[in-house]
Amino acid sequence: MTSVAFGVVAALTLLTALLVVRVTNLVRATLWLGASLLSTAGIYAMLGASFLAGAQVMLYVGGVVTLMIFGVMTTRRHEGLAAEAESTNTGRATAVSLALFVLLAWAIHGTPGLDVPATNGVGASPEALGRALLVDHVLAFEAASVLLLAAILGAAVIARRRDPGVEVPKPGSRAASMPHAAAEAP
Amino acid sequence: MNALVHGALYGVVIVLCLLTTVAFGVWFERKFAGRMQSRLGPTRVGPYGLLQSFADIIKLLQKEDIIPADADGSLFTLAPVLAALCALGAAAVVPFSPTVIASDLDIGVVWVLAVGGLMVIPTFAAGWSSNNKFALLGGMRAVAQSVSYGVPLVLAVLVPVILSGTMRISGIVAWQTSHHWVAVWPVIPGLPAFGLYMLAMLAESNRIPFDIPEAESELVAGVTTEYTGAKFSLFYLSEYVHTLVGSAVASALFLGGWDGPFAPGLHWMALKTLTLFALVYWVRWSLLRFRSDQLMDLCWRRLTPLGVALVLASAAWVQFAPGAH
Repeated sequence: MTSVAFGVVAALTLLTALLVVRVTNLVRATLWLGASLLSTAGIYAMLGASFLAGAQVMLYVGGVVTLMIFGVMTTRRHEGLAAEAESTNTGRATAVSLALFVLLAWAIHGTPGLDVPATNGVGASPEALGRALLVDHVLAFEAASVLLLAAILGAAVIARRRDPGVEVPKPGSRAASMPHAAAEAP
Repeated sequence: MNALVHGALYGVVIVLCLLTTVAFGVWFERKFAGRMQSRLGPTRVGPYGLLQSFADIIKLLQKEDIIPADADGSLFTLAPVLAALCALGAAAVVPFSPTVIASDLDIGVVWVLAVGGLMVIPTFAAGWSSNNKFALLGGMRAVAQSVSYGVPLVLAVLVPVILSGTMRISGIVAWQTSHHWVAVWPVIPGLPAFGLYMLAMLAESNRIPFDIPEAESELVAGVTTEYTGAKFSLFYLSEYVHTLVGSAVASALFLGGWDGPFAPGLHWMALKTLTLFALVYWVRWSLLRFRSDQLMDLCWRRLTPLGVALVLASAAWVQFAPGAH
């Protein structure tokens, strides 16, 4: 029963993930990504990590996918439903994905304790997760947040350099609601 | 398996109750708005026009189902169904009394935030797949709005979570039964957090003053411009259900849920929920719509810092106040 359900959810995750990269329409690809992340949350929930599943839906499907839609809609010119993805650097993308896959597979394979079956989520309660993130591994957690901050700043710098005509709008002025300014904010 | 049967049974009952409440809620709103504007509101169908909503539903279901020729058909059809699912799904973890609850999840608060926050995706999908400029603008506004109110909403909900030390909604209500209602004591993080939640909830359920994605005076009917008949009624319904469930969550998190003297808990919970539901209508028929940039300005520059301050204040309260736990 459980393994059948797992098989269905895992198949859904893979299928939707495949659709993300195969669909040529960017908006549809983003929506498929939402479906894929939702199925991943389903896998978390089946492993008993309900908090992780909830956080995944809230932050990734509700947050990241929404931001990506925001990005797609504000950075491209639209005629009707068309929002074609342009893949011009297939070679480099393949190399990067392969490298990432190898790195992740190596890291996951090298992590001890993964060969035992999940013990009904004992280690994944919100309390255990919070303790692990904010007490045991607080340095790595903070380093990750600094890294993300750097990424945001980097993105803002790159976006501004490409578009030298953009003036920094005063906060609260009407210009602050213009799409190009808002797209940089997150 | 027992829990599954219990959940399914209570789920069906709760969904039916919510839908009936919404039907009479729409009648109440029209009467209420009518009285505010020196009109009578509906009077024709049934005594005092009580059956008006049912007549409306029958009318809507009979209408022709139109899919625009250039629309993205499958997404266009899927969006209203997903919207109704998201709106009803959030009700699964709301405790209407110590026993009347479909699923008492230990992460109830996260569930409500996650499922409620998903609502923006069908809204955008509806706007985009309609292939109509007004609908697309409405969808864009929905996304921009969701990026803005999300953070204050989460911060407001964190206050009762920090004070009670649990994310199980029934646990938060139980804590309030033995301490104080969050909105009452401690006043400083409690009461402003309640107000913050109500504001963000209005924005999440696209209610005036934040009904920016629909904005019928600017965008025809926003994301629902191209929708007719049953699909339109699903959107209409999910908006009301979303507001109702949001009011129920507010009563549970901030107003003590089923806590109250003399009457059974279910009555108190219903009373609080319906009072907040009516408050939303009162706001709706009293205020004007914000502009999209005004909403973003309000959320990012005022409500988000306020939310952070409230979360810090509740953490300080738990840490330093004597007998806080």
